[in-house]
Amino acid sequence: MIVTTKREFKDLLANIKDYNSFFLIGCSECASLCGTGGEPELEELKEALEKEGKTVTGIFRAKTGCQVLGTKVELKPFKDTIGKTEAIIVMSCGAGTQAAVEIFPDKPVYQSNDTIFLGNMTRYQMFDERCSLCGECILDETGGICPVTACPKGLLNGPCGGTNDGNCEVSQDIKCAWVRIYERLNRIGRLDDMKKTIEPKDWSRGQKPRAMSVRKKEEKKK
Amino acid sequence: MSFSDILNSGKFVVTAEIGPPKGTDIKEMLHHMQVLRGKIDAANITDNQSAVMRICSLAVCKLAMENGLEPVLQMTCRDRNRIGLQSDLLGASVLGIKNVLCMTGDHVSAGDHKQAKPVYDVESVQLLKIVDGLNDGRDMSGNDLKGATDFYQGAVVTPESNPIEPQLIKFGKKVTAGAKFFQTQAVYDMEGFKTFMGHAKKFPVKILAGIVVLKSAGMANFMNKFVPGIKVPQVLIDELKAAGKEKALDTGMDIAARHIKQLKDEAICDGVHIMAIGMEDKVPDIMERAGLL
Ligand code: SF4
Ligand code: SF4
Repeated sequence: MIVTTKREFKDLLANIKDYNSFFLIGCSECASLCGTGGEPELEELKEALEKEGKTVTGIFRAKTGCQVLGTKVELKPFKDTIGKTEAIIVMSCGAGTQAAVEIFPDKPVYQSNDTIFLGNMTRYQMFDERCSLCGECILDETGGICPVTACPKGLLNGPCGGTNDGNCEVSQDIKCAWVRIYERLNRIGRLDDMKKTIEPKDWSRGQKPRAMSVRKKEEKKK
Repeated sequence: MSFSDILNSGKFVVTAEIGPPKGTDIKEMLHHMQVLRGKIDAANITDNQSAVMRICSLAVCKLAMENGLEPVLQMTCRDRNRIGLQSDLLGASVLGIKNVLCMTGDHVSAGDHKQAKPVYDVESVQLLKIVDGLNDGRDMSGNDLKGATDFYQGAVVTPESNPIEPQLIKFGKKVTAGAKFFQTQAVYDMEGFKTFMGHAKKFPVKILAGIVVLKSAGMANFMNKFVPGIKVPQVLIDELKAAGKEKALDTGMDIAARHIKQLKDEAICDGVHIMAIGMEDKVPDIMERAGLL
């Protein structure tokens, strides 16, 4: 899921200082699980803004805030309210914020969160980054552990000299990605995989902005 | 004689390190070059070592040549993408720099520009392959070069890495990728190093053992605690302690000289790489004590 973290309230206040009335949009997917854009957070921000003398004209938790069309449909009943509101605050990820920007081309849209990574939820509200969406996956060559993400240097051919009793030189709090890969390959009897040299990555596969349409392909087939 | 010729001649080789300064005042560095001139076989010029921004390795390699030293261009993958690396390699080649040491490089978080974006477009094994390609007259994309390079390329290895097997697998990959010589992380346990050499000797490469002079028991303890891949045995720490504060450095130099002598006399490896870290002045003295001068 997309992991987000709350911004400092004072930073948000500084950004929205030119406006007085707001409509708040949360998201029931990732942002709810991260505790940054669910029902409690919407209520909390509403209260905080009101304490600062601002008006909150409404709050709404979108089903999937990054889904542009669906969110647009969901927000239809609030059309008049939002029309009379000065600005919108989105409490989800950067993608959700930009969905709102597309839905409301004439309204200022602000965000209450920073978007940090694509994460696995390991326990409730605990997240780990395991994939950095590089566009050319090498998991099959590395025992299913991603060195592009798990190694701070993104090394593809084994540990650097900094492996420290199995930990990473960059942070003693994380295990060296390549020691993990080594142990995993050893365990599944595929240590020879580690002896193959992985060629430099084709970073052009991750060239931004990326877009994809499954639909277009099908349409072309016709 | 080129560095590769010297290594292949069977002579016990000594390399040392020159760390470029931060800033344009190079008086002290030039002095270190004078001290080392004619004594060592080659000098590594570090590449923004520990991710601390300094004069670039390339420029200092050129200065080293002008001052009578054979330079080894250290090249890390931290600060340049594949275009920058290849371009600098071509530049090094036309300046007459013959030796290159391909490394991954310390992470920016270790240095003095922690907010920098680390590059690591490619890494040490891949960089070795790139050098091999340039030597063959083509760039990484397979384009023909107008004039090939003629580098003698090396790499690094950490013999005391724990666990050791992943490190040895990578060592093998570096050899396959074209590494001709290796300079190791500092080693202090000669018996342990012999075990590593038992493995390394199976490959057609030259190995220079890393020597870092111990200045005090405190430094040894610090390295054991904080520097990955370095293990100073307790006996050496005790020896430094027994020497007392004033004689600690002298004892540290004796230990270094003793290790160098043993490595040479027992033909354990092909030479040593002395990392004096600010004490370049002392390198000739250590060599003398080891019977090399
Ligand atoms: S190799 Fe790329 S796509 Fe695969 S897990 Fe790693 S970052 Fe994600
Ligand atoms: S210690 Fe391991 S995880 Fe950390 S940078 Fe080096 S190879 Fe990567």
